[in-house]
Amino acid sequence: MSVSGEVKTVLSTDASDRITKTKWSFRELWRRYGAWGITAVNLTCFFLLWEAFVRMGFVNELFLPKASDMFAALWHGLTTSAPPGASVSGSIRDHLLFTLTNLGIGLAISCMLGIPAGLLMGGNKYVETILSPYIWALASVPRVALVPLFILLLGFTVKLQITIVVLSAIFPIIINAWAGVKTTDKSLLAAARVFGANRWELYTKVVFPFTLPFIIAGVQQGIGRGLVGVVIAEIFGGSSGLGYLIKRAADTFNSSLMYSVLFVLVVVSLGLVQATRWLESYVAPWRRIDSL
Amino acid sequence: MNVMESEPRSQLLSTSRANPLIVSKGLTVGYDLFRERQRLTALTDINLTINRGEFIVLVGPSGCGKTTFINAISGLVKPWAGSITVNGKQVTGPGPDRAMVFQDYALMPWRTVESNVRMPFEFQNLGLSQEEMDERVRRYINLVDLTGFEKSLPHELSGGMKQRVGIARALVSEPDILLADEPFAAIDAMTREAMQSEMERFVAKTQQTVVFITHSIDEAIMLGDRVVVISYRPGRIKEVVDVNIPRPRFNEDVKTLPEYTRLRDHIWRLVKEEAIQSSRGGKR
Repeated sequence: MSVSGEVKTVLSTDASDRITKTKWSFRELWRRYGAWGITAVNLTCFFLLWEAFVRMGFVNELFLPKASDMFAALWHGLTTSAPPGASVSGSIRDHLLFTLTNLGIGLAISCMLGIPAGLLMGGNKYVETILSPYIWALASVPRVALVPLFILLLGFTVKLQITIVVLSAIFPIIINAWAGVKTTDKSLLAAARVFGANRWELYTKVVFPFTLPFIIAGVQQGIGRGLVGVVIAEIFGGSSGLGYLIKRAADTFNSSLMYSVLFVLVVVSLGLVQATRWLESYVAPWRRIDSL
Repeated sequence: MNVMESEPRSQLLSTSRANPLIVSKGLTVGYDLFRERQRLTALTDINLTINRGEFIVLVGPSGCGKTTFINAISGLVKPWAGSITVNGKQVTGPGPDRAMVFQDYALMPWRTVESNVRMPFEFQNLGLSQEEMDERVRRYINLVDLTGFEKSLPHELSGGMKQRVGIARALVSEPDILLADEPFAAIDAMTREAMQSEMERFVAKTQQTVVFITHSIDEAIMLGDRVVVISYRPGRIKEVVDVNIPRPRFNEDVKTLPEYTRLRDHIWRLVKEEAIQSSRGGKR
């Protein structure tokens, strides 16, 4: 049955001729890093225009501070910490840490519950039928509407923040994992079966790797929604977190502090989403979209 | 046993005696259409004996059940009635004696070329040592001329290269039977012809039994020892046509042979009748 070595190969060409290294050139550098340069110039112009706009007095600094004031407040807030024993901190760093900790714990819980739940729903018809009404009901109710209920149940505690994060983040994770399992390419499953995969191997070696990018996309959505959830919960009440700091800055007409907290939120959100994109392109390079 | 049996008369097999490998008796297979509350019979009463080393090509209109037939041989679908045996044993599920090449390649996109080719070894124990498995993976990647692309992912390859990975994966376990479901349908004409000719050559070497589906009558005549024409729903064997053209067939002259033209014309007529049925939605 075996094929002897002298069988000629299909469309013979020498493999070593087909791959050559490209040389570095200005063109190549621009193609790779040009977008970063454009972004740097673009953002610098944006902040300079902002600064000029406020300095020329088009708008009251109570509503829009100078960009330089915002960066000063940002620097101050990130480099200082509340003195030991202070009841309430005014430092962005302390509040950022608090918010990120709750977000992190909430996201971890969402992943630990949501990923297995989604995989089970995709894999088992009965689990799917039983759980899906609850999932769809909870996924479609605006989570903000649940905050007063959970304040009654849990008070202004860390548990409240984490619960809101979980409620916000878990559904996109569940639904994406579920959809990933359901949309697993039928011919990949057929191929694995033909080559002898048993049921367990079908799940671990076909369904799961196929679903992984879906799960990461779900986590990505979950991060965005979780951040919304945690900030809303903090604005509602309590004395810690970036949401609380925004509310207090607004109450005390400290616009530069307020804007610097918003800036931090944008950076945190973008950073986390970008991290999941990198993760996705690492685990699923075949799904990578170059233009995004 | 039945009228469909005939001694393969190709050059390849002129010396070997008829040696039944796949025997299908009264095979009837179908699908449950859940939404329509119907049971659709895809294939009915298929009697066919395929001998060891034979190259069988199935042709017929779209939706006539050709794929269902090779799925029944592979063990992916179970017969409703009748039986299918491979090497005298009833088919109850997939096994290492049968491998398949898919129309859409069906390569795991997260696995490298090498890892895709190695996949059959992960799922079935053929009693090979690690060195033997490594050697075979290397040998078959070389056979399909993908040496140098071992670490590439399928999305980095062209269609023809992807299908060569699919072929290497099917050959690596050195199965008795190679099932191919329109393997070259999505490949451009030039590459397709080159791959057909290579297929003829390595099948002649390995003496594998091949069941091959195609929509191309030329491909059927160039590759097949026998061409099985299947009728439109429910699929029945309409005629089994012997191809008595000596191998190797891949040279300029074959397509001008009177025998080639006659066969092409004959099969074309058979398929056309069925294609008309299929375009009328199967109403007779």
